[in-house]
Amino acid sequence: MKLETLSKKTVVRALNSDGLRFKIGGFNVCLSSSVPAVAEHLLCLYGAFDVLDNKAFIDFYTALEPPSKLRRFFRPQVNFSFDGYFPFKPLPYKQASAMFEWGLNWCIASHSHQYLIIHASVVERNGQAFIFPGTPGSGKSTLCAALVSRGWRLLSDEMTLLSVSDGCVYPVPRPISLKNQSIDVIQDFAPDAVMGAVFKNTAKGSIGHVRPSDDSVALDEIPAQPSKLIFPKYERGSNTVLTPLSKSRTLLKAAENCFNYNILGLKGFNSLSNLIDASDCYEFKYSNLEEAVALFTDLAH
Amino acid sequence: MFENSLIGLPTAAVIHCRFWDEECVIYNQFTGDAHLIDGMGAVVFKVLSEKAVTRIQLLKNINSVFEWEMDFDAEGFLDNLILEYQKLGLVEVTENTSA
Repeated sequence: MKLETLSKKTVVRALNSDGLRFKIGGFNVCLSSSVPAVAEHLLCLYGAFDVLDNKAFIDFYTALEPPSKLRRFFRPQVNFSFDGYFPFKPLPYKQASAMFEWGLNWCIASHSHQYLIIHASVVERNGQAFIFPGTPGSGKSTLCAALVSRGWRLLSDEMTLLSVSDGCVYPVPRPISLKNQSIDVIQDFAPDAVMGAVFKNTAKGSIGHVRPSDDSVALDEIPAQPSKLIFPKYERGSNTVLTPLSKSRTLLKAAENCFNYNILGLKGFNSLSNLIDASDCYEFKYSNLEEAVALFTDLAH
Repeated sequence: MFENSLIGLPTAAVIHCRFWDEECVIYNQFTGDAHLIDGMGAVVFKVLSEKAVTRIQLLKNINSVFEWEMDFDAEGFLDNLILEYQKLGLVEVTENTSA
């Protein structure tokens, strides 16, 4: 059963009782919350995901709750917890849904060492996964949202899960997180893209999330073969330039963008090396999304 | 400097090499460090990843790949490289008992 088939009342009731259980790629998540906006966030952005019954094994039990009833009226706050553990300081109450996204990123990145986890968006076309590692502000999510809006399959916006056992990229097609100007850029580029509420004045500025395509969610158990490893860099006014990068340099650059490369040790080095063996490696500078999409669509043929 | 020595990768098998074109990345499993190496160094590791060799054999391999300027001290350069790699724990220098 898809989450969007539930009424808002049912979602709110589930969040307020034992938690709403749903499946995101290879992960089963349970979320409890008394924050009403969280139900809207889930219905808007997670509508195509499968709801799980109470017997399903849950990987991550999470909750979003105000830390204290005393602060309900004075600068209200919200806390994210995982299995009763609070990994972050509380955030403003209005940012509860954004906190869920960040919290779930943390859950996956901290507990999924069957994968080498690269801080990268990853999309797929014609069976080829294009991986875009990048530091915040590099334009990887903007590029990812643009490609997905033109029919590419979303595997992940925030983290590429590279299996250390078979070298494939496993999907976790959660909402694409856009920051500041990128929100307007994508709204102009893809007016049909469904976007949730915009959270203002977060530590990262304004944050908006784009709903993943239904096709991407429907294929969230199908891994993809890596094909291209591309370091994007958005530069206002720049031409669209794709420059080959040596594989050795790519390895060191990609290692800097991994969450658990050091934890995995030799397995991490071998996984990354195998990924680079299997991929063409580039640096990419762009300012024009139409040109970028056309270039990558051509590369994927 | 290493005239009577055998130069090889550490016997503890903590060094892992990946080669692409004229470059390589050497991963030290003991420290977790990865080193990008090109030029003469990449040839050194290509040779050493197959077996430990003497300095003369190593020079022979290097000279078959590179053409030097007349005044370039390839032997001195190689000795310095080996010394640096030894300090980083990437190579092991032992006495050549078969000499």
